[in-house]
Amino acid sequence: MQYKIMLVEHNRLLLEQLSKVIESAQDMELAARYQNSNDALGQGRVFNPNIILLDADVDNATELLQEFIASFPQAAIICTGEKWQADRTSHFIQSGASGYLIKPFSYANLKEAIRTYTTNGMEMDSQVMTFFSPKGKSGKTTLIANLAMALGRSTGEQVGIIDADLQFGDMAVFFNLEPQSTIYEAARDVSFLSPLELRSYFTKVNDKVSVLCGTKTPSYIDKVSIPNLETLIKMSKSLFKYLLIDVPAGFNPTSIAAAEMSGMTYVVSMLNGAYEVKHAQRALEIFEAWEDYRQRVKVVFTRVVPCNQESQRKMSEAIGYPVEAVVPNAYMVVSKAADNGQMALDLEPDSPLARSINYLAGRIIRQNDTGRGAG
Amino acid sequence: MSEENISGVVITFFSTASSVGKTLIGVNMASELARQGYRVCLVDYDLQFGDVANYLHIQVERSVKDVLETMNSRPDVPLQDCLTQYRYGMISFDVVPAPEFLDEAYNISADDCRRLIEKLRLLYDYVIIDTTSMFSVLNLAMLDLSTIVTFLGVVDFIPTIKNMKIGNDTLRTLNYDTNKIRLVLNRSDAKTRISMEDVEQLLGGGFYHILPNDFKAASESIVTGVPLVLGGSDSVLATEIRKLISRYTNRAYEEDAGLSAFDDEGENGRRKSSGWFSKLFS
Repeated sequence: MQYKIMLVEHNRLLLEQLSKVIESAQDMELAARYQNSNDALGQGRVFNPNIILLDADVDNATELLQEFIASFPQAAIICTGEKWQADRTSHFIQSGASGYLIKPFSYANLKEAIRTYTTNGMEMDSQVMTFFSPKGKSGKTTLIANLAMALGRSTGEQVGIIDADLQFGDMAVFFNLEPQSTIYEAARDVSFLSPLELRSYFTKVNDKVSVLCGTKTPSYIDKVSIPNLETLIKMSKSLFKYLLIDVPAGFNPTSIAAAEMSGMTYVVSMLNGAYEVKHAQRALEIFEAWEDYRQRVKVVFTRVVPCNQESQRKMSEAIGYPVEAVVPNAYMVVSKAADNGQMALDLEPDSPLARSINYLAGRIIRQNDTGRGAG
Repeated sequence: MSEENISGVVITFFSTASSVGKTLIGVNMASELARQGYRVCLVDYDLQFGDVANYLHIQVERSVKDVLETMNSRPDVPLQDCLTQYRYGMISFDVVPAPEFLDEAYNISADDCRRLIEKLRLLYDYVIIDTTSMFSVLNLAMLDLSTIVTFLGVVDFIPTIKNMKIGNDTLRTLNYDTNKIRLVLNRSDAKTRISMEDVEQLLGGGFYHILPNDFKAASESIVTGVPLVLGGSDSVLATEIRKLISRYTNRAYEEDAGLSAFDDEGENGRRKSSGWFSKLFS
């Protein structure tokens, strides 16, 4: 597809600079360029652009955007700005822009932006899920990793994992990744990144699933501030249809912030014959502070024996709260998989573990279809 | 006067993964030291989801939150009066249980927690601290304050080993004396795909002590609320825990030297002497 781009840029110098980027690209055509947005609105249609880069660093950006949408219904409009601002960006997207791009941009930035925004649009309805465990050793890393793979495979959508278990994040080990960058670098740089640049901080597992890995040493823990983590999550929502967040055990600023920003929080506990059920129950009491906690909090038990509906029903009764899913004990297959950087799901696709994870993935996808759980 | 300034031994149980047995071993260590006649206080600094009170089946009337409040607002009240006593037969020790409510736990200051231990160690021969599995401000303060840190690990699968390695390396960067940190392996013979030798090589040192896997005995003790070393258990786990403690106290375990929970034969008579004693000196 040939990109026919109309550039609207109020800054004369930037107009020149950005024009050059587009003109020198083989697969792009600078259909028209304007310093004055009214000229663009009046004359641009003659050139039939399919992509509009609209300068949003002006006071009346929102009204302008709406006028362009009305005048160019066939074109994808990407707002451009010199600084990434999550709130402004999400406002533009809600008003109908396809995406947001930091300028000045390189050819690679622009190309990636066009590819991302014109195929998916910015996924502001992405589904954000936090996986909370009261005490750790919950099996949630296994659950998240396998669930992400299942979601990617059955929907074909982009799936992101943020490993915010800042001290002992296991995602990299789980997927056998050697990340070039981690959540530490991403949080450090986030204030001058756009979502597309943020994408390069994620490590790809396959075409669908990417992971923002945890820090390599515990001393980095205080280097990821909560506001930066929040910006990271917000920004990641524009990259992934499904965003799964792994957080440190217990209630701490990180787990609370992630849960607050998520459409769904899963309280995950592993049954070990001690007081796990009681802990899950006490954790639920805290989430009751949310008015809509019954819609936003779901309970999952892992290592459930026997892993069947009867157990699920009994567990629900025991905690006085519906149990969303039960996951069987699959130590050997999980450990074998984890030790080799593979997913248990792939290793034994018909195992009870795989069945239970696919079931949960199905529930998540249906939630999305019915519009619930939007983050 | 001078005696009041003698500081007891502070032993912290720490790990980088949960569910490795910190609470179980900590509870048993407190029990065994109490049985040997020491003044012992067991403190649950897994503030949010602490299990000490659960494992000992004690009703929490005064939690760490209440103890700290008293310590701060009424320094004239003797601390012992605010603690909860655990008693099994003739044997007893004091407990500072975790708060009942999570919001209480969330709002406790690490500095207050540190000051409490500084006071408790003047009152007890042994202060045993249970922790969460992370390098938090509170835990770092406890590591600093401790005479001995029992860094407990299990060998189950690679991510756990990685975290044990990270934890071990971090403890080294804190520059504690080598003797202070004691790497103890729990559930050593649990089913796993990883060899212990590989782990020791990775960690750059051997384990100080190795505890066997005895899921049944451990679970039973959690269900009944009676610590293994008090219930007269002759399980291998109880035996090895006693052995570990004797290494900490630098004295051999002598059943007769300490108190028995019950004087009647019924409870005591079931105890069998096993082969471990001779092994101690081998």
